[in-house]
Amino acid sequence: MDFTLTEEQEFFRQTIADTVDRMIMPKVEYIDEHPDEFPWDLWKEFTGLGYLGLRYPEEVGGMEADTTTCMLFYQELARASAGFSMAVTMNMLMGTYFLHRFGSEDIVQRLMIPAIRGEKIGVICFTEDQSGSDVGATRTSATKVDGGWVINGVKNWITDGPICDFCTVICQTDPSKGARGLDFFLIEKGMEGFSHGQILHKMGAQGPITGELIFDNVFVPEDHFLGDEVGRGVQHLTDILNEVRCMTAAQAVGIATTAMKDALEYARARKAFGHIIGDYQLIREKFARIAMNMEAAKLMVFRTAWMIDEEKAGRGPNPREEAFLTKMFATEMCMECVDEVMRIYGGNGFAREYGPQRYFRDARFLLYGGGTHEIIKDFIGGQMIKGRWQSRL
Amino acid sequence: MKVAVLAKEVPDLEAQVKVAAGGASLDVEKRKVLNFFDEIAVEAALKLKESAGAEAYAVAAGAGTGIDALRRALAMGIPGAFQIDDPALAEANPLTVARALAAFLQKEGFDLIIAGKQATDDEAGLVGPMVAELLDIPCVVGVTGLEASDSVVTVTRHTDMGVEKYEVPLPALVTAEKGLFEPRVPAVTGVMKAMKAKIDKYSLADLGVEAAPAVKVLGYQPPAKRAAIKMIPGEPAEAAAELVRLLRDEAKAL
Repeated sequence: MDFTLTEEQEFFRQTIADTVDRMIMPKVEYIDEHPDEFPWDLWKEFTGLGYLGLRYPEEVGGMEADTTTCMLFYQELARASAGFSMAVTMNMLMGTYFLHRFGSEDIVQRLMIPAIRGEKIGVICFTEDQSGSDVGATRTSATKVDGGWVINGVKNWITDGPICDFCTVICQTDPSKGARGLDFFLIEKGMEGFSHGQILHKMGAQGPITGELIFDNVFVPEDHFLGDEVGRGVQHLTDILNEVRCMTAAQAVGIATTAMKDALEYARARKAFGHIIGDYQLIREKFARIAMNMEAAKLMVFRTAWMIDEEKAGRGPNPREEAFLTKMFATEMCMECVDEVMRIYGGNGFAREYGPQRYFRDARFLLYGGGTHEIIKDFIGGQMIKGRWQSRL
Repeated sequence: MKVAVLAKEVPDLEAQVKVAAGGASLDVEKRKVLNFFDEIAVEAALKLKESAGAEAYAVAAGAGTGIDALRRALAMGIPGAFQIDDPALAEANPLTVARALAAFLQKEGFDLIIAGKQATDDEAGLVGPMVAELLDIPCVVGVTGLEASDSVVTVTRHTDMGVEKYEVPLPALVTAEKGLFEPRVPAVTGVMKAMKAKIDKYSLADLGVEAAPAVKVLGYQPPAKRAAIKMIPGEPAEAAAELVRLLRDEAKAL
């Protein structure tokens, strides 16, 4: 096993880290303190560098980067700003995937390509009041009519939904089939009946504007059905969920990296009883435990990224369970890390002028996307009991 | 116009640096970047490429170092990059580095050479002027303004006495000071190109260069630890009186 990054991947990581430090780091406090403002200036400057095309093929202006390189990108972005990284990843993955895979040439040219240039905002819509992890309980409906479909329903917790130019929406096409009766549709800003509802005020991960999207008898033409066959929406969704979960884990590693770096600097300077607090065993124990779990999380992220590429090349299995476990472990690791970092800072950890309170608020948001951990544990445990999965290592 | 940039790979400013056991060498964390002032030089070359259609390339010299610096220059948009790689360049006399660079520049050709004012590791600022001397071309150091035509460059430099302006016939060498240009952040297309670029390598023998006698470092010492800072409380008049007392009676500075 070769655990090293290639020279090219290491160069990429160094370059994106430097870009993040120069361009995004100076603005993170402003972004956090202005939750009702999308950081448009930073968005234009950063997306102008072309990174949103990283994972797409060259024919749509992408870079065809491998999944490991993409994970390095997500990690470095989240090291600066969890919220901004979520806005970026929405446009470069979830918000554009179905358009690229199933969209007509017109949809690709008019919407998808401008989105990966940062010129349009594209989002994906799953969550409703009564359905999150239980996607089969989706109530937003798509009814077949002459020439297209009519969409009705309300989606919630949509990252950048209120400012989007288009959205990919999961809808019930056959209520009798539950999760097997779901499909994806493209809805564009300006279509009659499409509007945004209330904005959700989050406790952290500021940057994206999150809120409700309302579909009131929205007619979409036939080519806005984003699939190959009615009823296969969930199947197509599972094709990117491994990548989405691995990406979430990489973002968790990013947040934890900054939190730990800040805490080390603090522990080397802050004195108590005549010594720096870094001299005390209970503080050192915290660092050792954070480092242990962070190393494990990084290894899981990069192994899952490798498995995703192996599967795409036809050389390996679907790493569904590995992706679940990676997401769960890395985000829980991040939660523990930011909690301990706040404790290392003592009372100062509670002050807005120090970073730890922001990392603490941001880390929490990663727990929910890609499945709650209660769902993941139940699923993985079930798979093991039924003999359907065991470790491949 | 053909513009050459001298690029040096240096430790990242955040890399940890410690005096090694014995005191004769440094333990430097392996985090390497393109020298800060050389990034400005790269940007200057790119501006000339974009405004005047200049050809541009970058060259670095070191012992097993330079690739990361050159990749950064490529990522920023410099079309060509070359590495002079030779064990004799390890902790070499700056004159050896200058001889190697001058030999390469003569072979590859140039109208204008842009170097950084100094490197952030040794802060010597020697190689640029040495290269100019070896090539027998005019040299202006620390420029904060640069305009070029086919036969002449007009440069400004800020000094304590004011702003100086020079018109320098080409070929020439200038060194870039902070404020000349703000280095661009590389676009992903540049980064991917740089990741895949093949960089030609040359040894001192390839260039017909002999190493100058090495400079022997006798030792390193870390800077003296700063004494604790004493804060003087109170209203300005009181604090001033207390400060005078401390300077006179404790620091014996008055």
